[in-house]
Amino acid sequence: MTNRVREESGISPMWNWKITSLFAALLLVIGLAAISFGPINLSFTKILRTLFGMHGGLSGQDRTVLIDLRLPRAILAALVGAALSTSGAVYQSVFRNPLADPYLLGAASGAGLGATIAITNSHGNVYSLLPIFSFIGGTLAVLTSFFISGKFFAEPQSLLLSGIAVGSFATAIQTYLQQRHSSSLRPVYSWILGELTAANWQIVTWSSFYILMAIAILISISKRLDGLMLSDEESFSLGINPNRLRIIAVAAATLATATAVSASGLIGFVGIVVPHLVRGVTHRVTNRNLLTIALAGAAFLVLADLGARTLLSPAELPIGVITAFVGAPFFLVVLRRRRMGSL
Amino acid sequence: MIEIKDLEVSLSGKKILHDISLTISEGKWSCLVGPNGAGKTTLLKVLLGTASYSGSVKSHGSEVYRDQRRNVAFVPQQPQIPQGITVAEYVMLGRAKKDGWGNESAKSRSLIGEILTQTNLYGLHKEYVSHLSGGEMQRTLIARALAQEPELILLDEPTSALDLHHQIDVLNNLQILQKSGVTIISTMHDLTLAAMYAERIIVMQSGRVLAEGDSTEIIHSSELRTAFDDRINVFTLDSGRPVIVAKKDER
Repeated sequence: MTNRVREESGISPMWNWKITSLFAALLLVIGLAAISFGPINLSFTKILRTLFGMHGGLSGQDRTVLIDLRLPRAILAALVGAALSTSGAVYQSVFRNPLADPYLLGAASGAGLGATIAITNSHGNVYSLLPIFSFIGGTLAVLTSFFISGKFFAEPQSLLLSGIAVGSFATAIQTYLQQRHSSSLRPVYSWILGELTAANWQIVTWSSFYILMAIAILISISKRLDGLMLSDEESFSLGINPNRLRIIAVAAATLATATAVSASGLIGFVGIVVPHLVRGVTHRVTNRNLLTIALAGAAFLVLADLGARTLLSPAELPIGVITAFVGAPFFLVVLRRRRMGSL
Repeated sequence: MIEIKDLEVSLSGKKILHDISLTISEGKWSCLVGPNGAGKTTLLKVLLGTASYSGSVKSHGSEVYRDQRRNVAFVPQQPQIPQGITVAEYVMLGRAKKDGWGNESAKSRSLIGEILTQTNLYGLHKEYVSHLSGGEMQRTLIARALAQEPELILLDEPTSALDLHHQIDVLNNLQILQKSGVTIISTMHDLTLAAMYAERIIVMQSGRVLAEGDSTEIIHSSELRTAFDDRINVFTLDSGRPVIVAKKDER
């Protein structure tokens, strides 16, 4: 359908393949740049030859840098970016709140507490325990929010409030633990700001399993998520089971978020910035473009990580600083456009 | 035909509906009337299938609770108004059950065009629903219900947000629908309009049904007066049409 017809009917096409492919292409280009640039610059052609197993690829140290350092890191950044942006978009629909983000239900604070427990109790081998502890912490916090709110079915907003309470509680314990073990201050702090430095193929493998599964579930229900824009009675009459849909959506989004957080720490603002950016481009609030949002999130975070590695090279910026630096002003623009009162 | 037998509804320990037995005939327009808090909206939700109840409410022989095989349209009094979605897209949501969510068929698109014209929404169809006035929103809701091509349409105060002109517009649209064989059940505060359009009237007070029958009879019944604490006057115009107004308080 051409644009002209669409405008006359007032109905946007179901899927804008052009924009989706544009973001897919963007992801590839940024991804290639991310594995090429760094303290050692690798040539594009050699990278491509190495990746496709062709003659004349990289060898020795360069090959190690590409295969064991930059490639897993870029892939992890893409996975985390996709996870956070899709979960953000889904939470925004479920809670009918344009400023909802993936950390809303206590996932971030819970994971932070888990990570702090891992860091303060382990001796040396932090990175093997940290993901497991933060994953458990994040998931437990969300479950607690669920059980405390109780009224999730009647009023999704009450889950939001109990998420905030559980989050504050977890943060309080985390701060206490941190104070008691002052040697842990630095690692905990750098984890909270988000980091992809620990990326390796093992982390990429398990996190891709959970994240891709969660995103696949979310995309498969994404069209129905539009029904949650209406009251429960209306969506029921249109063939939706709103309670079941909300539970599936929140469970899948939480799985993606908890996995992302445990793999990379707390990377803020991706879950808000990217969905609104894509909606701004496609002029759509609905979730039909969830795949586009996932691709855009992936591209955004790979780019942010490239910035984190190279801007102050050889020193490294926490990636959370970069996303917040872009995200916070953007957040304010969204707020201003929505004029607070109409939220 | 919808058969209600010994219906009771409680919400957090409080009884909302008591002991209701009722038959609602197919293809007719029935109107629920009664003061605020009579349980009209709750009864609509029971008929939609979203409120749990004891007793039995059967449509074509099967219980209505959580039954989504029936095609029932629901027009709420206070809709949840989504951001960033156009009138045409909002009306198109009415096709979601038939076409599958997000899969609009060509047939649906042409049907939406007809419905937008019929409900006087053409010209507004590219507007965001969040920018509509109360009356425009109400017509948009009716349009979405029409798009569902339902067997039963439930409306909660469909005219309360509208000026007189648009009240008649909406009610005439519903009358066309009803003449094509759709069953309509609505609540309505305006008793004169209820008498004018509905064929059956169900009088409710404090969760009970006081009377049910042909609108011409019910409008002159003592039960209707009782439901409103005897604070209404029923006049009959020369044309034979009844007009119901509030009594001026003499105290």
